[in-house]
Amino acid sequence: MSITGADHGEGTRGIVVDGAYRSFGSVHAVAGVDLTARAGAVTALIGPNGSGKTTLLLMLAGLLVPDAGRLTIDGFDPVTEGHATRARVGWMPDTFGTWDSLTAREVLTTVGAAYRLPREDATDRATELLETVHLTELADSPARVLSRGQKQRLGLARALVHDPTVLLLDEPAGGLDPRSRVDLRILLRRLAAEGRTVLVSSHVLTELDEMADDAVFLSHGRTVAAQTVQAAAAARRTWRVRALSASALAAWLTQVHVPWEAEDSFAPPADAPGALLIALDGEASAAALLTDAVTAGIPVTSLAPAGGALEQTYLSLEEERR
Amino acid sequence: MSARDATVTRPVAPHRGTWALSWSGVRTVAALELRQRVRSTRWIVALVVWFVVVGGITALATGSVSLVSGGGNGSVRTAGTGADATSPLVPTGPAGPTVPAGPVIFGFVVFFVLFLGLLVAPTLSATSINGDRNAGTLATLQVTLLSAAEIVLGKLVASWVAALAFLGASLPFIVWALAAGGVRVMALVVTVLVLALILAVVCAIGLGFSALTARTSGSAVLTYLTVAGLSAVTLILFGLTVPLVNTQADVTVYGVEGWDSELTPACSWFTDTRTVVHTERTWWLLALNPFVVVADAAPATTSPPSTASFDPLSAIRTGVRYARTGPETVVDECWTRGAGEASPVPERRLDSAPVWPWGVGAYLVIGAGSVVVAVRRLRVPQKVLPRGTRVA
Repeated sequence: MSITGADHGEGTRGIVVDGAYRSFGSVHAVAGVDLTARAGAVTALIGPNGSGKTTLLLMLAGLLVPDAGRLTIDGFDPVTEGHATRARVGWMPDTFGTWDSLTAREVLTTVGAAYRLPREDATDRATELLETVHLTELADSPARVLSRGQKQRLGLARALVHDPTVLLLDEPAGGLDPRSRVDLRILLRRLAAEGRTVLVSSHVLTELDEMADDAVFLSHGRTVAAQTVQAAAAARRTWRVRALSASALAAWLTQVHVPWEAEDSFAPPADAPGALLIALDGEASAAALLTDAVTAGIPVTSLAPAGGALEQTYLSLEEERR
Repeated sequence: MSARDATVTRPVAPHRGTWALSWSGVRTVAALELRQRVRSTRWIVALVVWFVVVGGITALATGSVSLVSGGGNGSVRTAGTGADATSPLVPTGPAGPTVPAGPVIFGFVVFFVLFLGLLVAPTLSATSINGDRNAGTLATLQVTLLSAAEIVLGKLVASWVAALAFLGASLPFIVWALAAGGVRVMALVVTVLVLALILAVVCAIGLGFSALTARTSGSAVLTYLTVAGLSAVTLILFGLTVPLVNTQADVTVYGVEGWDSELTPACSWFTDTRTVVHTERTWWLLALNPFVVVADAAPATTSPPSTASFDPLSAIRTGVRYARTGPETVVDECWTRGAGEASPVPERRLDSAPVWPWGVGAYLVIGAGSVVVAVRRLRVPQKVLPRGTRVA
């Protein structure tokens, strides 16, 4: 995938950010972000706290003016064509402020009215979305009684009321229980499959592995890397291999010239069940290694990546930074 | 690539800027605000307390007025607040048995309602925008297709409607005063309209400050200071500027010049140099005062002006028109004239032009200015954030 949009003529679907800058006083929140989020794909926006993710999303949502750079949403400029942009964008903020006294249903119908949906459409849409985010039972209780995760789900429904083509989700998984996280993943995959552009910022990298197609890494307000999740999975990374006898495994690895590391660096591998860490270039190498090990009679019980694909990239970027 | 034809109606909206206005947009925001407010505050309790307090004051005013004018002697001074203010001007003895109590009660009730309204209105709007910003709900509206003007006007309408509910709760007592006689029905209509307008302006001021400041306490304090400034500081300034507008001027006097004999002196015309106060230069300070505006706007009572009854509205109306007319150049000081003898000094002609349009005009400017400030602060996308705030 390309980091900068090669062609962003009017009418281009998706999000294109080209050299965006934004500072608050002396704090340079966004200092040179380039990213492209394709329509029909989920793009992950990854970066440590304070790396400029939220500020970037605020600019894309049409709430902040960038100091420099060009942003387009489906070919529209949020600064000069704010109204057209806002009609297309569904934005879910990380802070889940909501109107406490309104019921979940009223929150959605009010937002529908604010997006100028006819009343009946807004009502139907609210019912449908409450179903989607599993809040039907709580539809008519005030938003104040909702738990954090339920409010988060209501926030997601709120972002979807006007059937946006571009979704900007800031930490959507925060406060969600495992079941809701799975639902969220399925929902976002479905929305992307419908041809929408989905940009998700998150810290939970293992989740993004399964959810995202592309990933953009931010650090100190800059784009530091962009890759597809597939590429990240194929990249050289750490795998954990586990055998009934860690010492036998270690001996064999040394013999076939595969560098290894003990998981517990204080004790040498013992003749007991244990795991070692090795670096492999993607799944093909892993399969080859496993075949060799089994052929050599090593009692291997498992071979798996020692962390998420994106986590590996993220951590390697962190190391570069130090 | 089926998102465009997937699922429900997508809003198709022509371009709309910051100042675009539609009734549906304003109504959406106002309904949201009122729902929030009606359910989240002890709304009914506040209205009931208001009703009881205004009712109590009305009863007290009615009681004391009837005691003073009915009892007919100056000894009834302890009947209540109304009595203290009224008694010095109420004639002692059996004079004026037909003076209706209406204007007095009406004046007190209207002023009390205005006073309470000035206290309540800021609480309804002064935390509206920065409170929402702190709660993280403002940006939720800003990203929708509502324009900044619709958000601000919706909030203004909501706080105004809430303020009008309080005004409505006091209406029975104003009507009661009307029933006591002496007050034109027109006075009721005009007074209620002016009260409603003043409440709207106070709500707008609160909204403006809540858009300007990050903290809700800051905007509440600034709104109360502004209200206090209009209600009290204008009076204080008017008083304090009196020495500044003093001049020495020649005044034509009809009176006794150099009385040095035991004989009954005759009055004559002479010229004297006196200190005169040019309140015609500072009367506009009074015109900014909401109490003056209400008093001046209320049509005159049905009783003749000479009737000795202290009607606060009439008294203020006359006072402010005196101030606007400025000092007299011809003074009648003839105290030796016998009863029934006509004075050669022409009756003083007051500037009869009403003062309240100036006050109302100034309020409309202040209110509109506050709304403009608030709308400009809510424009998206934002270039500059108010200090200490976050977008969301």
